[in-house]
Amino acid sequence: MSDNTLNNLPGGFKGMAHDMGSDQTAFKGVQWGKFMMWIFLLSDTFIFSCFLISYMKGRSSTVVDWPNTSEVFSLHVGSVPVPLLLIAIMTFVLITSSGTMALAVKFGYEKNRKMCAWLVLATAIGGLTFVGMQIFEWSKLIHEGVRPWSNPFGAKQFGSFFFMITGFHGVHVSIGVIFLFIFARKTFRGDFDTGKRGFFTSQKSDYVAIEILGLYWHFVDLVWVFIFAFFYLW
Amino acid sequence: MDETQNKEQSASTHKIGIYLWIWGLLFVLSFFSYMVDWFAFQGLLRWGLILFFMFLKAGLIMAFFMHLFWERYALVNVLLWPMTAIACFIILMAAEAEYTVFTRALYFFTGG
Amino acid sequence: MSDEYNQNNTPLEAQSSETMSGSSSSATDIDYVRPAELSEQDLYHAHSWITKWVFCQDAKVIGVQYFLTAVFTGIVGLVLSWLMRLQLGFPDLVPFITAEHYYQFVTMHGMIMVVYFLTALFLGGFGNYLIPLMVGSRDMIFPYVNMVSYWMFFVAVCVLMASFFVPGGPTGAGWTLYPPQAILPGSPGSGMGIILMLTSLSLFVIGFTMGGLNYLVTILQARTRGMTLMRMPLTIWGIFTATALAMLAFPALLVSCIMMTLDKVLETSFFMPAIIQAGEVLDYGGGSPVLFQHLFWFFGHPEVYIVALPAFGIVSDLISVHARKNIFGYRMMVWAIVGIGGLSFFVWAHHMYVSGMNPWFGFFFATTTLIIAVPTALKVYNWIVTLFRANIRMNTVMLFCLGFIVTFVNGGITGIFLGNVAVDIPLSDTYFVIAHFHMVMGIAPLMVIMGAVYHWFPLVTGRMLSEKLGKWHFWITFLGAYSIYFPMHYLGFIGVPRRYFEMYDSPYMTSAVGMNEFITVAALIVGAAQFIFIYNIITSLRIGKPAGKNPWKANSLEWLTSEVPPVHGNFGEKLPVVHRWPYDFNVPGSKEDYIPQTTPPSEVINAEVEKT
Repeated sequence: MSDNTLNNLPGGFKGMAHDMGSDQTAFKGVQWGKFMMWIFLLSDTFIFSCFLISYMKGRSSTVVDWPNTSEVFSLHVGSVPVPLLLIAIMTFVLITSSGTMALAVKFGYEKNRKMCAWLVLATAIGGLTFVGMQIFEWSKLIHEGVRPWSNPFGAKQFGSFFFMITGFHGVHVSIGVIFLFIFARKTFRGDFDTGKRGFFTSQKSDYVAIEILGLYWHFVDLVWVFIFAFFYLW
Repeated sequence: MDETQNKEQSASTHKIGIYLWIWGLLFVLSFFSYMVDWFAFQGLLRWGLILFFMFLKAGLIMAFFMHLFWERYALVNVLLWPMTAIACFIILMAAEAEYTVFTRALYFFTGG
Repeated sequence: MSDEYNQNNTPLEAQSSETMSGSSSSATDIDYVRPAELSEQDLYHAHSWITKWVFCQDAKVIGVQYFLTAVFTGIVGLVLSWLMRLQLGFPDLVPFITAEHYYQFVTMHGMIMVVYFLTALFLGGFGNYLIPLMVGSRDMIFPYVNMVSYWMFFVAVCVLMASFFVPGGPTGAGWTLYPPQAILPGSPGSGMGIILMLTSLSLFVIGFTMGGLNYLVTILQARTRGMTLMRMPLTIWGIFTATALAMLAFPALLVSCIMMTLDKVLETSFFMPAIIQAGEVLDYGGGSPVLFQHLFWFFGHPEVYIVALPAFGIVSDLISVHARKNIFGYRMMVWAIVGIGGLSFFVWAHHMYVSGMNPWFGFFFATTTLIIAVPTALKVYNWIVTLFRANIRMNTVMLFCLGFIVTFVNGGITGIFLGNVAVDIPLSDTYFVIAHFHMVMGIAPLMVIMGAVYHWFPLVTGRMLSEKLGKWHFWITFLGAYSIYFPMHYLGFIGVPRRYFEMYDSPYMTSAVGMNEFITVAALIVGAAQFIFIYNIITSLRIGKPAGKNPWKANSLEWLTSEVPPVHGNFGEKLPVVHRWPYDFNVPGSKEDYIPQTTPPSEVINAEVEKT
């Protein structure tokens, strides 16, 4: 739906009544694939919410002390322990990659193939870096004796929730990275300009796919914001 | 051709400035979140600040990076109202955790 | 110019002429329908046998695939129920049924029936077939993902069936899979059985997420011209709301499955408290079994509405077609479905009144449970008022609808008993609960499924099912099912516990022996009667009376396809244009007693149609 027509529709609450009461589409200007991604993200939000709620319940009801996250997650620079240093860097990397993704979407819609492709690639590399750091963090903690079934720092559930939640998030990031590399290649090759049909789905490629992947990537960043706040900071 | 293309896309694209501003703001808020731990605030102040910065960051990402600020109101509502079920779940599980720790204290420690 | 029509800001560019309705432009003011917003869907056309019949992307084929797989699992569940009833009615008759086996049958019967049979059948079977047809689209909006979703379901069923053959057998923890027992020795199948069950459920959730995305987005974003949300048949509203619930409830199931799998495989303690087992202190500690219950029922309660809501929607359509009358209070029926769906997320712990959760929760959940009864009752009143003074055709379909109303009211009323905390405490975990949920989730939706098959079989195959066989099938099933479950209310009242392998020697339990025998005999008869149904389907496929187009004289779009059975693309060259709701039956002033949705107003100018 073009900009003109979207702007002419009523806005606000009246607009919602108009949209819902209209024929054909209930969400004006939202392409099918994009809407599917939004609903999938809503579902995924419920998954991560359930994980975090379980974590909240587990941590709030423990009678054994919960480990001090500032100490457990600190990195040593020389001999000085800097609390949450690795996490801060990971957050920085993920937010940066979110920014490059948003710019990639913008350039994609402007049909600027080169800028879009480089930014998608930059996002992929940022994501890969994040996964690398997460693996490094896992190996460091495993080395220090943290296991899913027990750990030397405090309540048993610390290790279980940590590995499960960051693991699930890491899997989401990894899947995103794979798609980002695939889409970077597609963009470089010009598939989104020519509308080349996909290998699996046989659907025509379009720059809206970059926006759809962008939504997924921002979701991954969003989940990290919550994990960072609830698991590492709290 | 270019002009109509720009008109077609301007619902989806914005000036580069806005992305850079939001990006910067996210870094600033992340820094503030980190400072909460650095300064070792405790209790209600700690939790309040953590939640405040967290929701602000989440809101910025959703509104600007995920484009919700420019989408139709119907879409925003459909995405946000289901969160009330999650909110109910959160509140109830917090109460349940209270009760669990109460019964553990009662039965395991006071011999009740 | 009134503001409502905003003629000055005609917002949309007209698309190609393909979608304009047939009437000439001079008479079009009353026939005007907005032009198409989007270009035609880019359909995938299969060319090889495998892409046409196996990995098919056509929603109709996928719907039949779901239907057949779900019915297969349902038959497995039915056989398991016969084995359970044999043990309860005639203990020691079949020595093969030990206590362990009995609990495994109970568990697999429950999980199969609720999840793999009913959910898959309503959403995957009826949803896939009917949604594109009823909203006027050529197919689902993402056929490839739709195809993958069926095969994920298939794999999930295979994994579930595999659990029968692993060492230790399938899990016997009850369909609710409560920890800590579910993963500890002492429960049957606590080895590979529970792991395969959890894996199968996870695969099911992933598959249904993919399918659900298709159903939701097709209904919301791919309707044909003129099809507003309030002109959709209630079947679609029921399936739509159920799908929305599925998208939001299955995450909780997935999370609980993952955490329980980790508890079993990696010996984490999410749900496992400190335990001493046969004198040995286990390595677990600090976990919370009630957390699993909360997560499970946060899924579990919406799940039962996922089963019930499509049944509500479908039965509304069946009643209105076969009673030749518009559904009474269509708008309120829609709001009731949506309201029930929304409220279903706030009632879950009424399954947990005796679990030892925070006692104050009982107040909250009993309140919300009684509130959710209101829109449900509203629907029952509307069905009854629809039938009042209607031109009822007492065919098999209508009989099943009436059977639905009766059994659903019965089950619904017993639900009110159980929803109140104080009354639930003595009735919990007794046969009263079994009677309640079988009536309301087993018999009632099953009546709808059977009625729906009799109703839509002519569309899917082009032939009618035999009415004579249908009536035998109905009466035996209906009276038989009542004979099975009505006595169970009494058993529950006298305190006979559920999930018990045998009745033991206590005086009040032995008084139930005769009742149990009666129920078992009834169950076996009802089970046998289903062969009439299967026989009817198989023979009618060959020698059934040819149905022609729209044999029931219904109004909704699925009956208005270019070919019967509908082919790939559904509607031929031109997509339908919708001018009205699907309930214009017996409209005063109209020639026929039905007005299909695509009939423009200029053709029924003398009829007193509702403005829809």
